[in-house]
Amino acid sequence: MSQPVPSGPKLRLDGVRKTFTVPRSGATVVAVETADLTIEAGEFLTIVGPSGCGKSTILNMLAGLELPTEGTVAMDGRTITGPAAERGMVFQDYALFPWKTVFENVEFGLRYGPHGKGLSTAERRRRVARCVELVGLGGSEQKYPHELSGGMRQRCGIARLVANEPDVLLMDEPFAALDAQTRIILQEELLRIWGETGNRAERRTVVFITHAIDEAVFLSDRVVVMSAHPGRIIEVLDVGLPRPRTDATRTRPEFQALSQAIWNLIRDEVYRAATAAGSAGGARD
Amino acid sequence: MARAADSGAPPGRQWRQSTVLLYLRSLLALAIIWSLIALWVGNHVILPQPTSVAYELFRLIASGEMLVHAAVSLWRLALSYALAALIGIPLGLLMGLWPWASDLLDPVVEILRPISGIAWIPLALFIFGIGNELPIFIITYVALFPFLLNTMAGVRATDRTLVRAARTMGVDQRTIVRHVMIPSALPQILTGARIAGGAAWMSLVAAELIGAPSGLGFAIEWYRQLLMTPKVIAVIVVISLLGYLTDRGLRWLQQRLTPWSTGIGANP
Repeated sequence: MSQPVPSGPKLRLDGVRKTFTVPRSGATVVAVETADLTIEAGEFLTIVGPSGCGKSTILNMLAGLELPTEGTVAMDGRTITGPAAERGMVFQDYALFPWKTVFENVEFGLRYGPHGKGLSTAERRRRVARCVELVGLGGSEQKYPHELSGGMRQRCGIARLVANEPDVLLMDEPFAALDAQTRIILQEELLRIWGETGNRAERRTVVFITHAIDEAVFLSDRVVVMSAHPGRIIEVLDVGLPRPRTDATRTRPEFQALSQAIWNLIRDEVYRAATAAGSAGGARD
Repeated sequence: MARAADSGAPPGRQWRQSTVLLYLRSLLALAIIWSLIALWVGNHVILPQPTSVAYELFRLIASGEMLVHAAVSLWRLALSYALAALIGIPLGLLMGLWPWASDLLDPVVEILRPISGIAWIPLALFIFGIGNELPIFIITYVALFPFLLNTMAGVRATDRTLVRAARTMGVDQRTIVRHVMIPSALPQILTGARIAGGAAWMSLVAAELIGAPSGLGFAIEWYRQLLMTPKVIAVIVVISLLGYLTDRGLRWLQQRLTPWSTGIGANP
């Protein structure tokens, strides 16, 4: 899509703070403590951090599903006040409509949302079919989500995201519920779909949440490392590994070194959280 | 749409055959015990033999009398059931979607709900007299609550992530209600429809016993007064059969309309 390229960053968090009030006790919990972050157009940015670090809260604010308590979240210089088709999302638990087939799920945004306006039924169907093919679900169009494996469900989730042609792709731990092999395959496919091998200017902006460090390093241009209690950004790292990334990428010394560096940043906290897990209860990230 | 249901066809047929056999076996056992008790009682008016009930059932059907009563009852049932659905489902949607509606209506619903439909019969007799209005009022009242409460609960139980997913695709609130919340509530609405069906049959008989000049309930009371117990039981048998068939029909509808819900465990 040829759009006028704005001079500023694609997404910007400016002094963003998010607090929640605990329903019973009335206590205030700080989910995100003054975060500043800019994300460039076409960038693949991953946020990693232990549970409760506020990474999903940041993603939800980017989506417009939650609003910051203080500060602003903006896209192309305009403050985000609610969800919009420009910022599509993929969810950890897939969030597919169980009463719709794969095809109908992928079709949803175009059929009922603003991005499908002006498309004829035939054009819409063609685009949906193309997206279904793109994620490797050809032949499963008429299946219902409950007939699919976890990996296929998330492929469907990605097809639904891509079909709606959002400017920004928000992914909330999309591979966390999948087995290790499926994960590796889907990571590579995601990069292919994103357009890793193609022209840099045609790539969409991706913000990807994960708690898996190797996943973050493998996928991203930059990795944002967060710590919990209160959730804040402690480091932003450039990955700098050449693209396209392949199996060989994972064995490179830079890959290992960067993964180790990120692990060092959050290790203490992960251990602390693991030992306190019994008493904490219900921390959200 | 039927693809999901088709995949279970061979075990389904097997299941059906064995179920028919199981039913026949249980009914035969029941008839034998019944017959023995009837012998022991030795009074045709208190408890007739199953064979004489079967004979009277045949005669009532052959003469066309049973058909007339059943048709009247079914007509009342269908009308009241449709009324209950037409009032209950929209009201349930309203209460499920908007807290203000629920705040307004919930106390009324909770106060009325524990009152059995039968409790209204004397008052309804006073207002409507004997005729069609009384059973229609009672059945509608009784069937209304399962429709309303299940619709409300179903809408409220909509997975929030699905709503969020729809919102991130930029669709408006109307689309979310129409294409996310209502389909998501449908399995529970249909469960409500089945509960309403059962309740409607029970209250139909009660209402017709007292407040109607025709129908299956009326027939029971009529033949009781004539001390024709075999005919009383024959009518009861027909009620049981029709009630069973109604539920089978609703269950079929459930599987037809929500084939996807078998996979998420929403169907019994």
